[in-house]
Amino acid sequence: MCGISGVVGLRNVTDMLFEGILSLEYRGYDSCGVALMKRNKLTIKKNVGGVEEFFRKENILSHKSKIGLAHTRWATHGKVTRDNTHPFISADKKFAVVHNGIISNHRALRDQLEREGFKFESETDSEVIPHLLEKFYRQEKDVEEALVKTLNLLEGTFALAFITEYQPGSIFCAKRESPLMLGIGDEFKFIGSDFNAFVEYTRNAVIIDDGEYAIISRDAYIVKNYFTRMEVEKPITKIDWDSETSKKGGYPHYMLKEIYEQPQTISNALELLDGPLDELAELISASNRVYLVGVGSTFYVAKFGTYAFSTYAGEFFPAVSSDEFTALASLDQNSLALAISQSGETFDTLTALKFAKSQKSKTAAIVNVMGSSIARLVDQFVMQGSGPEISVISTKAALTQMTLMLLLALKLGLKKERISKAKYKEHINSLREAPEIIHSVLNERSGFIHRVASRYAKSKHWLYLGRGVYFPIALESALKMKEVAYVHAEGMPGGFLKHGTLALIDDDIFSIVFIPPKADKALYESTIHCVEEIRARSGFVLGIHFDERGKNRNLFSEELILPPVPPILAPIIQLVIGQLFAYFTATTLKRTVDRPRFLAKSVTVG
Amino acid sequence: MKAVILAAGKGTNLSPITTTRPLPMIGLAGSTLFDNTLDLLKKSGINDVFVVVGHQKEKLIARINDNNRNGLNLHYIIQSKNEAIGRAVLQAKSKISPGEYFLLIYGDTITSENLFAKAQQSFHTFKCPIASICLPPSNEMFGNVFLNAQMKITQIIEKPKGDNLGNYVLSGAFVLPESFFSLLEKNGRNMEKALKSLVAEGNLMASMWEDGWLDIVYPWHILEANKMLMDSWNESSIAKSAVLEANVTIQGVAHIAEGAVIKAGAVLEGPCSIGEGSYIGNNSLIRSYTSLGANCSVGYGVELKNCVILDRTRVGRLSFIGDSVLGENVDFGAGSMTVNRNLDWTPITVKIGNQNVSSGLTKLGAFVGDNVVVGAGNMIKPGTSVAPGKILPACYSVTD
Repeated sequence: MCGISGVVGLRNVTDMLFEGILSLEYRGYDSCGVALMKRNKLTIKKNVGGVEEFFRKENILSHKSKIGLAHTRWATHGKVTRDNTHPFISADKKFAVVHNGIISNHRALRDQLEREGFKFESETDSEVIPHLLEKFYRQEKDVEEALVKTLNLLEGTFALAFITEYQPGSIFCAKRESPLMLGIGDEFKFIGSDFNAFVEYTRNAVIIDDGEYAIISRDAYIVKNYFTRMEVEKPITKIDWDSETSKKGGYPHYMLKEIYEQPQTISNALELLDGPLDELAELISASNRVYLVGVGSTFYVAKFGTYAFSTYAGEFFPAVSSDEFTALASLDQNSLALAISQSGETFDTLTALKFAKSQKSKTAAIVNVMGSSIARLVDQFVMQGSGPEISVISTKAALTQMTLMLLLALKLGLKKERISKAKYKEHINSLREAPEIIHSVLNERSGFIHRVASRYAKSKHWLYLGRGVYFPIALESALKMKEVAYVHAEGMPGGFLKHGTLALIDDDIFSIVFIPPKADKALYESTIHCVEEIRARSGFVLGIHFDERGKNRNLFSEELILPPVPPILAPIIQLVIGQLFAYFTATTLKRTVDRPRFLAKSVTVG
Repeated sequence: MKAVILAAGKGTNLSPITTTRPLPMIGLAGSTLFDNTLDLLKKSGINDVFVVVGHQKEKLIARINDNNRNGLNLHYIIQSKNEAIGRAVLQAKSKISPGEYFLLIYGDTITSENLFAKAQQSFHTFKCPIASICLPPSNEMFGNVFLNAQMKITQIIEKPKGDNLGNYVLSGAFVLPESFFSLLEKNGRNMEKALKSLVAEGNLMASMWEDGWLDIVYPWHILEANKMLMDSWNESSIAKSAVLEANVTIQGVAHIAEGAVIKAGAVLEGPCSIGEGSYIGNNSLIRSYTSLGANCSVGYGVELKNCVILDRTRVGRLSFIGDSVLGENVDFGAGSMTVNRNLDWTPITVKIGNQNVSSGLTKLGAFVGDNVVVGAGNMIKPGTSVAPGKILPACYSVTD
C-alpha cells in the first residue's frame, strides 16, 4: 500500500506536491521520495521516514520545479531502506518512476533485464519499470510507445506514474487494480491515489479505470486504453466536498457550529462580570433614562433586557428598535442609549447612536467586533467575546447578549439593593451552570428536536407564543425560523390569542408554546391556558416544557421536554431549542443555511 | 482508500425477504442495496472493496464475481459462522497494511446522498479516526453519541435506557486505522467496546450526516429505502428495446428497462421502475414507488402501488398489491389483494420472530417470500409475512 501524488503546472509545484503526498500518508508510510524536473533535468530525492520529516530534512520546498511526482511507501517487497524507496530511475537516469501495487512477474522481468545488462539498485519489484521504459524507448524513440510496450509486459497490480527528460512537461501514468485518478485544474493538473491528493486545488476528478493510461501536461490530458490504444472519453467526477469543512470544524454548517459554541461563549461572557460589566452598570446607574437599542435579533435581545432589568433591578428600560429610535426617544445629557450589535456596523443602530449623540445623550454598546464603527462611536462599550460569528443567522451572539443582559440586570439590582446579596450570588451561580446545561441539552435532545422539525417541516405557518420573558424568546425563535427556513413564523405574547388571533387557528396553523418551569406558577398557568385555548379549537401545539414526559398527555400535539433547570436559565435554554428547531427545519427543507436569501451578515444599509 | 463492507449478517428481522438472500441483495428502485452502495463508493473515489460475506453468501459471491460494470476491485471474505460485528471486521485484518486507514461500512444502511464521500472528507479534515453520525428518523432508533464543540466524540451509548436521551447515532460508516484490529482483539472482538476505547483515547471524531439515512431493520424499511432512492431520480429512461403500446400514459419519472412490454391503456405514475423483460398487461395502473424486477408479468387491470416486487414474479389479473414486498418467482393469483390498512386507521403491526412490532404506518400490506403461490381470490391481511415457498390455496365462493 503506497500513495502517489503528482502535479504539473504553470509555476513551481513543490508546495502542492508536499500537501498532496501529506494527505496520502494515511495509506501507510515508512519512506518517501520525490522526482522533480529542473531545467529539463531530473532531480530525485528520497529517504526513509514520514512525509513531513522527509520534506524538512531534504529541504524539498526550496527546490523549484513545474512538474513533480511524490511517493509514500509502505514496504511489501524489500526492506525499508533508502535504496528501496521510490522514485526509481532508469540506468540512463532519464525516467523516474513511482509505483503502487505488486508486479507479480518481476523476477522473470528482472532476470531478463539483468541478462541484457541493466543494473538494479533495489530489491523491489517496482524497479523493473524504469528499466523497461528505457529499453523500449531506445527501440521506439517515443515515450508513449515505450509506456504501452512496458504495460503490456507487466503482470500483477499497479498504479504507476513517471516523468522523463525525453518529454519533460508531461506526467505519464497507468492503472491496473491499484487506485489512480486525475485532478483537472485550470493552471495545474494532478494525479493521485485518491481525491485527498488534490482536493484542495481542484474539484474536477477523472477516475482512471483498469487497463487505461493517461498523459497529462499543464494544459491538457488524454486517457487511452493500453490494449486497444483508443482514446477513452472520461466523465469528469465532481468532488462535492465542502471547501469550508475545516473552517467549519467539521460541522455541516456554521450555524450548527455556532450553536455548539454557545457553552463557550456564555463562559466567556461570565468572565466579563467583574470589570467591564461593573463599569457599564455604573454608567446605567448614573443615567436617569435608559433605552435598550437593537434591530432584528438584537431588538429581541433588547426586549429580553427589558424583562431582565424589570425582574432583577426593578427598573423599566424600554427596548426601542434602532430604526424607530429617532421617532421615539427623548434624550438629554442624563439619558443613555445602550445599543446591542454583533457586528458593530449595523446601519440602523449606528444611525440611532449618532442621533443620541447629537442630542447630548450618553451612549454605550455591547458588540462582538473590536474596532467596529459602533465600538469607536460610543462612550463606553463591552466586547462580548463570542468569537467570529460567520453564519448570517445569529445564534451564539444573540444568546450571549441575552446572558449579558441578565448579568447587567443582576449587577444593577445589587447596586440599587433591589435584590439581596444572597439572591445575587444564587442567580450568578445558576448562570454559571448554563454552559454545562446547554452542552447536555445539545448532546441529549437534538434527536427529539430533529424528529419533530423534520416531521412538520412542510408546515407553512407557525405561531410562536410566550408570556413574560418567554415572549422575546418566542420572537427571536420565530425570527430564526423566518430567516433560515423561509417559513412564516409569528412571535406573539400568549395573551394576544384571545384578542383576535384565535380566529386563525385551523389545520394549517401550527403553534409552538414556550412554557416556563412550574416554579414560576402564575406564568406557567397562564401559558398553559394559551395551550388549552388552541387545543379547544383543535389546533396543533408543540409544547416546549420542563415537566415530566407524558404528564400533559392530551395537552400537546407534540412535546419537547427539557431537563429541570434554575428558573433564571429557563428562557436561555428555551432559545437553544428554538434555534435548533429552525435549523433542522431548514436542513430538512434543504435551505442554504449559512447564506439565507435576502440577508447579509451585518446590515450596513439603511 | 480501501473499503470493507460488512454483509454477512442474517437480517433475521427482515424475513421472509432475507431468508433466501443476503440483505444487501434486496432489490430496490430497479437496482439493489449492494449496487447502490458500490456506485456511491466508486463516486467517492474508492478503488478496492472487500465484502465480508456469510449468510446466503453464494448470491453475493456470484454478484461480486460478475462485477465488471463499475470498475471497482471487488473481493470477498467469507465469514464462516454467524458472529458479532467485531469478528466480522476482524476478517478484513489481513487486507489492510500497518499504518493504513480504511473505510468500514455496515451493509444494511442506505443514504440519499454520498455518505462515504462525506466520511472521507471528514477524515481529510481531521486526519484521525472518523465515525459517521446522524440523527435517526424515528425515536426507536435513538442512541446517544456525545460530542464536544470540536466534534470529538466523548461518549457513545448505543441503546439508551429510558426516554431522556435522543441524539446522534452511529450511522454505519467509519474511517479507521489498521491498529483498530488490535484494539478489537484487546476488547474481546467487541465492536462497541473497541469504539469506546478509541473514544477513551480521545481519538474518534464525528462526521455529521444531515441527508437522508435509514438503517434497514424491518421489512417495511425496504419500502422506505426504495422511496429514498426513487426520490433522488431526476430523469426518466426508456430502453431502446422496450415496447410501449398505444395509450400508455407515463407521468413523472419512470425507468423502463430493455425488453419490457407495456400493453395498451396502462398508466405509469412515477417514480417507478419496470425491470428487464417484464410485461405489464392492458389497463394496469402502476402507481408511484413501484419497483418491478426483471422478467415479471403483471396481468390485465392490476394495480401496483408503493411496492417492491423481485424478479420473475407473476401477478394475476385484477389484483392489487400495495405497500408490500414480494420476493422472487412469486405466483400471485388473479383477483388477490394485499389489504393495506386497518378499518380504524390504527398503525399496522407485523409479527417479527415471536413479537408483534408496530410499524407506525397506517398503510402497510404484506411481505411475501420467494416462490410463494397465492391462489386466486385471496385477501392478505395488513402486515402479514408469508414464508418462502408457501402455498396459499385459492378462495372460492362457489365450488359446485
